[in-house]
Amino acid sequence: MSLPQRTLSAGSVCASPMRNRLVYTLGLLFLLSLVVLSSGCGTKVTRVDTDTVTDLSGEWNDTDSRLVSREMIDDVLSRPWVSNYTRVHNRPPTVIVGEVRNLSHEHINTRTFISDLERELINSGEIDFVASATERTAVRDERLDQDLNAREETRKAMGQETGADFMLQGTINTIIDAVDGEQARFYQVDLTLIDMLSNRKVWIGQKKIKKTIQKSGWRL
Amino acid sequence: MNRCVAPAAAVVCSGPGARAGRACCSRLSIAGSCIRWRNRQSPTGLMSKHLFSFSKAALIVISVLFLQGCATSALKTAEMRQQLYAGNYQSALAEADRVHQSKPDGVMENLNLGMLLRLSGDYAASNKALETAKRKIDALYATSVSEQGGALLLNDEVISYQGERYEQVLLHLYMALNYLSLQQPDSARVELLQSQVKLNEWGEPKDDVAFMRYFSGILFEMLGEQSDATVAYRKAVDAYKNTQYKYRLDVPLQLKKDLLRSLALMGMDNELAVYKKQFAMNDFMPDKKKQQAEIIVILEKGMVPQREQIVLQTWSSELSSMVRIAVPSYPRPPLHLSNTQLRIAEQQYTTQVVADIDAMARASLEENLPLITARAIARAAIKKKSERNVAENSTAMAQLALMAFNMGSEIADTRGWNTLPQQIELARIALPPGRYQLGFYSPATGSSAYQGEIELKAGEKVIANQRWTKPVLSADSVSGPGRLLIIPIFPLQIFLR
Repeated sequence: MSLPQRTLSAGSVCASPMRNRLVYTLGLLFLLSLVVLSSGCGTKVTRVDTDTVTDLSGEWNDTDSRLVSREMIDDVLSRPWVSNYTRVHNRPPTVIVGEVRNLSHEHINTRTFISDLERELINSGEIDFVASATERTAVRDERLDQDLNAREETRKAMGQETGADFMLQGTINTIIDAVDGEQARFYQVDLTLIDMLSNRKVWIGQKKIKKTIQKSGWRL
Repeated sequence: MNRCVAPAAAVVCSGPGARAGRACCSRLSIAGSCIRWRNRQSPTGLMSKHLFSFSKAALIVISVLFLQGCATSALKTAEMRQQLYAGNYQSALAEADRVHQSKPDGVMENLNLGMLLRLSGDYAASNKALETAKRKIDALYATSVSEQGGALLLNDEVISYQGERYEQVLLHLYMALNYLSLQQPDSARVELLQSQVKLNEWGEPKDDVAFMRYFSGILFEMLGEQSDATVAYRKAVDAYKNTQYKYRLDVPLQLKKDLLRSLALMGMDNELAVYKKQFAMNDFMPDKKKQQAEIIVILEKGMVPQREQIVLQTWSSELSSMVRIAVPSYPRPPLHLSNTQLRIAEQQYTTQVVADIDAMARASLEENLPLITARAIARAAIKKKSERNVAENSTAMAQLALMAFNMGSEIADTRGWNTLPQQIELARIALPPGRYQLGFYSPATGSSAYQGEIELKAGEKVIANQRWTKPVLSADSVSGPGRLLIIPIFPLQIFLR
């Protein structure tokens, strides 16, 4: 007994390639897109060295932050303001981190390179840092708590804080020029050390970064 | 010859054939032009009979599923809009959240969620949602080949929604307002700059969003950056002029005053004279009282219209038959919103329309409609051809299934940021420092909408922002007894610099 074979699409449907070429192409395209989309599933994690340059979107990233901190650290320690101060006052200068204003086009976390800078300067032994305005509130609260709860010999008295000699302030500015998916981004980070007594600016650090970003007009 | 390609989504494996590890027993091809049953290698005749009925059943199920599955976006978000319109922010938010969960990285879903989170007072979460939308918009910058192809086979909603241009700009406005509410003026400033980059990149005067420029000017002034403010005001004036032909919105009087005052402050006397002449405000004298505080009222009224689907039957001479296409449309004319008066300490002030989002939405659709229609006609032709091929070569059942699928999948793209207000109004009022009672008042109804207190310090600028979702129809546009004059009372969001 022959098996019933129902092949409803006889040759005639698909026999006219001209007629179906468009439909065929589009169908193939659709199928292809599904394959591509499905292959995107699953998470893959690769650990990389923190010095690796990973430029993904073109926005401010860790590499930019690192470039800025490196430049600033090299610069601030090689200038005469530290030795000048130490010679006159017989002790290293004390610095407080003020506000680094983000005036750029991006939401930039300025804490990263400021922390780098702080760490290097403290480790150099040539500069002291005092807690910033936000940090010291927590410390003062703790001291207040100690007053009530800590043993006499371990209690820290109020009014013994070190006043800063210099304040570190800064800005991040950007200039962006963009047309038809092409962008030129220019970042300028300026850090200034200001003498708290005289308002004199003793050091200005500057780092400029420029990148171009090209966005593709087509995707699958 | 097997020239038909079935997309994975449409391949249905069912019945004993599939279980026995054989090839798919039934195959519905949407991309190709044929539908076929293949019962090859069936062990027995009885089995193949079962297989066939199974396939048939599967086909009917899919076609019914597709018929129901393709609801327009307008329909899917109707409940959310209804709740927002009634002022039930929490219910609207729950609805938006439900829609958002079905597509967590969708631009439209995140825009709506962001807006409703903002209205519920959760500014940080609102910004998170809006930021997601922003990133997605950026990722969708490139045109997708596969999506464009898919749009020719199914419908326009296959193309990822990336927001109309005005929506992409207003996203930054709402993020900036959120950052201001969160006391982060510098982050708000970042948003302004990003909107500028976007507008500059497009470089098309017709796509400029004048209020965004104006608002940037106001914020720069709040941050003490007078020169940037001046530039922004000047650009805002240009933007209002460049888009006047589309939105019928003239340069607001308040903006004219702001630009003149700013130019005077900067000492740019030549330009001041030019603008004075241009605005016909030769007797303008800037207010120089520095100790004055200022309250900037931003009132968002009504709701942006919802795109709806209209179905057209049109004659195609190429196919010599009628074809059915679905295109988006704004079937109703704009609602006429009544004037609102602002009452501060028993004094009355008027607010001016600074952004007509209703007009922006309509103009945007009008610009895109030729392309949308062309795509819909091409799609209709492809669908019709596939139906004809099936009609010639297969059973009535298969033809019916394909027709049902084609009809069910043909829906108009009604997506949009549909929680935006219909229009934005603004008032800037200089006042001596002190505490003030502030309220909105509708002359058409004689009732006041909101009362609240605000404290102003010397030299301080404060933004008071209020959303008034339920439009109040003014007397002249209401016919008949069905006057809609209910005014909900919402908390006024006030944030201090």
